[in-house]
Amino acid sequence: MPPNETRDTRLAEALALGDTAAIVKVYEEAAEAQGNDQASAFFLTQAYIHAVEAGLPEARNLRAKLVKMGRETMR
Amino acid sequence: MSQASDLNSVRQPITSANGLANPHYIDPRIFAEERDALLFDGWAGLAVVEDVPEPGDATPIDFTGLPLLLIRDRSGDIRVFQNICRHRGMILVDAPRKIEGAIRCPYHSWCYSPEGALVATPHVGGPGQNIAEGIDRDSLGLIEIRSHVWMNTVWINVSGTAPAFEDANADLIARWADFDRPLYHGGADSRFDLDVACNWKLAVENYCESYHLPWIHPGLNSYSRLEDHYHIEAPQRFSGQGTHVYRQLKSESGSCFPDFDRIDARWDTAAEYVALYPNVLLGVHRDHTYVILLMPDGPGRTTERVHIYYSQPETDADLRQRNARQWKDIFVEDIFVVEGMQRGRNAPGFDGGRFSPAMDGPVHLFHDWVAGRMLAHQERRLAAE
Repeated sequence: MPPNETRDTRLAEALALGDTAAIVKVYEEAAEAQGNDQASAFFLTQAYIHAVEAGLPEARNLRAKLVKMGRETMR
Repeated sequence: MSQASDLNSVRQPITSANGLANPHYIDPRIFAEERDALLFDGWAGLAVVEDVPEPGDATPIDFTGLPLLLIRDRSGDIRVFQNICRHRGMILVDAPRKIEGAIRCPYHSWCYSPEGALVATPHVGGPGQNIAEGIDRDSLGLIEIRSHVWMNTVWINVSGTAPAFEDANADLIARWADFDRPLYHGGADSRFDLDVACNWKLAVENYCESYHLPWIHPGLNSYSRLEDHYHIEAPQRFSGQGTHVYRQLKSESGSCFPDFDRIDARWDTAAEYVALYPNVLLGVHRDHTYVILLMPDGPGRTTERVHIYYSQPETDADLRQRNARQWKDIFVEDIFVVEGMQRGRNAPGFDGGRFSPAMDGPVHLFHDWVAGRMLAHQERRLAAE
């Protein structure tokens, strides 16, 4: 799937601003837009790590998705 | 390695002992050996609890080259870890910050909880795969350093082999039981650093003795004469001096800092100043305490971190600033002598010096402690080879 320029721009802006909630959102959108599990899991992981670091409530659901995909530990 | 013969000449009665030889103050190899034998094997002072005031606060501290991370975890407990990721040894935190959720390594984003648990290893098994054989998160948490809090000071035992802090320091804890209570940091105007061009041990040695007071701190002569001071001597643990004539600072209106509640009457006019080996200098008074953390920065440089505490959270700001200024002035008066002694350690004719039997008892005890710990450390190393 070709890169999404709008999403890339939004990600760059969010990273520059340190807007973790926006970073997580962009990565989640990217995950949903992928056509296969590995690509999706990559972006979900990016979203998850940023959410974990910031202590965002989204981290719980993101982790649950990765666990369901067999790509994260149960605990 | 420092010579056993030199160390044995230090471990003599005060009437005949020499002080530690020059290399103990200028030789990087002996500095490294002392780091292990004196600072890492015992309980060293690292920080104060106010350095991480809130849960989630984390601050990196370089302790003689050892990268450490001081954290107040989510339960409010003080923890000290080695400030490195278990993956590739990257430094995790390079500036004081609040940990909102986890500590994320800036290199490959392994994440650790404020309690030190490894909670995420992104892409460790390949892109999008966060699990890998052989990567057991339970065994790859942050490496914790034993720590203990007393007098609002964070003490660490890097070697992990020292007796429990409360056992190793039972006598000073008992001696100062009156101060084992909440202490309130005076805030920004009650902390300061002094950067001194001397080996950390010289700061200890100078602090221990009252012998220099009439010449270096003449302002004390009017109300705290040499004969008003007494030695405090606990071989192998701490030494210092006390005064019988502590005089409280007064405001223009005549008010003083509030006393510690129900403190024993002996502290009405007494104050004590102790070097708790290896690197912490403490002072206690009826109305305030202070701690000086000696942070070695090489053989010939030390940062003195001073923190002043009171009996109440709120105190008169003007009086507090005067008190901090007064102590800073006194400690600054000592700088030229400790720096002068440091420069003197480059004189090959100096044999470590001699001690005044009447006046240098506390200093001699510190030298004896250093020499004994170095000899023991050398013996253990030889036995292990």
